[in-house]
Amino acid sequence: MEKQTSECILSIKDVSKSFPGVKALQKVSFDVRRGSVHGLVGENGAGKSTLMKILSGVYQKDAASGTVIFDGETIEHTTPHESMQRGLAIIYQELNLVNTMSVGENIFLGRFKEMKGMRGTHTSARELLDRIDCKIDTHKLVSELSVSEKQMVEIAKALSFKSKLIIMDEPSSSLTAEELVELVKIIHQLKEQGISIIYISHKLDEIFDFCDVVTIMRDGQIIDTKAKVDLTRDEMITKMVGRSIENEYPERPQNVGVTLMEVLSLNTLKLHDVSFTLKKGEILGLVGLVGAGRTEIVRALFGADKTEGHQILINGSAVRIKNPNDAKHAGFGFVPEDRKLQGLVLPFSVEANISMASFEKFTKFGFISKSKESEIGIRQAKALAVKTPSTKTPVKNLSGGNQQKCIIGRWLENDPRIFIMDEPTRGIDVGAKYEIYVLMKAIAEKGGAVILISSELPEVLNMSNRVLTLFEGRITGEFNPQTASADQIMRAALGMTEGSVKP
Amino acid sequence: MKKNFSAIGQGLFRNYVLIAILALVAVTMLVEPNFMTFANLINIMRQFGPLVMVSLGMTFVIIGGFIDLSVAGTISLVAVVTVTLIDPIGQVPAILVGLAVGALCGYINSVLVLSSGALTQAEALFITFGMSTVYSAIALMYSGGSTKHMRFLKGDTSVIEALGQGSVGIFSVSFLVFLVCLAVLWVFQTQTRMGRAICLTGGNKTAAHLCGVPVSRSIIAIYTISGFMAAIGAIILFSRITTASPVIGAGYETNAILAVVVGGTTLKGGKGSVLRTVMGVLLVILMSNCLNLLGVTPYMQVVTKGAILVIAIWLDNRTQI
Repeated sequence: MEKQTSECILSIKDVSKSFPGVKALQKVSFDVRRGSVHGLVGENGAGKSTLMKILSGVYQKDAASGTVIFDGETIEHTTPHESMQRGLAIIYQELNLVNTMSVGENIFLGRFKEMKGMRGTHTSARELLDRIDCKIDTHKLVSELSVSEKQMVEIAKALSFKSKLIIMDEPSSSLTAEELVELVKIIHQLKEQGISIIYISHKLDEIFDFCDVVTIMRDGQIIDTKAKVDLTRDEMITKMVGRSIENEYPERPQNVGVTLMEVLSLNTLKLHDVSFTLKKGEILGLVGLVGAGRTEIVRALFGADKTEGHQILINGSAVRIKNPNDAKHAGFGFVPEDRKLQGLVLPFSVEANISMASFEKFTKFGFISKSKESEIGIRQAKALAVKTPSTKTPVKNLSGGNQQKCIIGRWLENDPRIFIMDEPTRGIDVGAKYEIYVLMKAIAEKGGAVILISSELPEVLNMSNRVLTLFEGRITGEFNPQTASADQIMRAALGMTEGSVKP
Repeated sequence: MKKNFSAIGQGLFRNYVLIAILALVAVTMLVEPNFMTFANLINIMRQFGPLVMVSLGMTFVIIGGFIDLSVAGTISLVAVVTVTLIDPIGQVPAILVGLAVGALCGYINSVLVLSSGALTQAEALFITFGMSTVYSAIALMYSGGSTKHMRFLKGDTSVIEALGQGSVGIFSVSFLVFLVCLAVLWVFQTQTRMGRAICLTGGNKTAAHLCGVPVSRSIIAIYTISGFMAAIGAIILFSRITTASPVIGAGYETNAILAVVVGGTTLKGGKGSVLRTVMGVLLVILMSNCLNLLGVTPYMQVVTKGAILVIAIWLDNRTQI
């Protein structure tokens, strides 16, 4: 026992947590060794966040269910503040900083007295930031920082509490590739300083990149804890999903046909003379950095943003699209970038969310037929295997993957010819991702076409028949992902080469 | 997990209104025998008429995710316009013009909200607050600041008198008007495409717009309905008290919002029902009636109303997490 406390910073044994009607955690046990990076993976709803919230004191574990030992001290009841004081910091996905205050003030928020005023605050903040080789000016306002810089401020804040364990909840979800490299560097530095890290992520590459030990959770239980070197990628996916997945991606659609849509000189404030074609039966990937204009292109096509004098030809005839309703009637479907803000009406039922783009099908003389609406809801929920107790359940109770399926089902009801998918798999677990890929393929093979936008390059490269790269609102290249290398495509997306490798 | 909490919470909250009504009535009946007299019940019925009309209209604005403070001004304007038109053009045309003025006021609000690009409830709050003062000022200018009395009119006012005092069987005429409005609005909200579009707009404007739901038309509809219902309320109000002052509508906006929220329609938009609003109106009116009978001072009554509004919003937020 003595040995274990000295070796492990955190030791959880048989911890359970129930919410009314649901067992969120069942007898969870695992240890985090000092100075290690401990990966925690699992599908959405596996219980990762619940466990972390118990550790940080947001939730309390069920009374008399197991023990939590942190740094040799048994913890029965804690609050977020106490946890921080003890040296357990948590960095949430949505960062908790005050935008209108400076970096230094944020790091020592509420502790100006201890720091002996502003000067002390800023010198101490400087020291902390130097510890992670971060050059941000401590007088800068947090609102002027990028997401990755904000993350560094959060890490410095954690260090200011002399944290021994830092939990990072999906830290990479909004970082670019270069920013991620920075983060990994910092993680290694922290490790050298003897600080342990629990790293929660959906992205398996990262887990394999720099975690020492990996714990896999599913359905509120720990499935396995293993050293990374003993674990294969397939094994990890199988354990996360509970069944084996042959491939992460299905084969891309085979029968690419004639031109379906032509877009001629699309101009907006952010787009410059964008022209491209879309063929029947293909998945067209758009690759570019955040802000390169990927989302702007599809929003303009769909009539969601104002555009200037472009022309869209579908099957050779010109189509005018002034608003999303026109786009809908022209045969477009659109899965927006942000599922919760732009896609769903969260408090409404699954059924109402599915039916909301196909009013024509269940209204007559302006009156709704509830039974026909239910039919639509049930039909699409069944076709897409949406996991929900009933189609009357509020859509906010569903997991991310099932919510996304509701949005896709909403458009499938209209049999769209051109399906736009903007980040369709963001924040969705491996199993549901595969199902969404299969759906995309099915749409293309039924004679439609899919425009795919994704920040995950492997996804675009493995699913698309053709890839367009964008840089600062211009198309910089066209590639066949089966023959072009990821490197070539990335260079074009970074604006370094003008190029095109035709299929 | 969270689902169960909110289900229990919302269940409690919904019944909360009923429980509160029953408790209030029970206590008042015990303490004050005058409560159950015929005269008092008639009094309650009469107060019910105007407020419930305004609140029904307000329900749509709130379900649509906005708010309408202009009803106070609209009521005053409609009341003075209708009364002054009875002599020159006759009572029925005057009523029709009054209703049209109300709908027009609402329509103007919606155009202002849309053209200013106001997307939040807060922006709509200020726009309609501004318009309320404009409508009130027009009412004052139009009437020259004086109260119009129906008994000084030369024209025929039989229809208006019937609306204010008449009854069919045991129901007053205004109550029958209320039942018709309730039925129409309930069907409109739950059974029609436009009603659904309004709910979706309130639930998530962006998502609704991206699905081709007519968001702008929904916003025009909710404000026009609100203005129209405020006009009906105004006409019932002055037909009962037989006078129309240019400040007659003051206070109706807060009472209507109170009734809608206490009834259980969330200020966040999307969810709610005209039936719940009727319960909310009952509670608000019974409360002020009971507090009157119990001898609570008017100042204290205002405090109570404010407290109830805050508690209702607080409960609503708690159950929505």
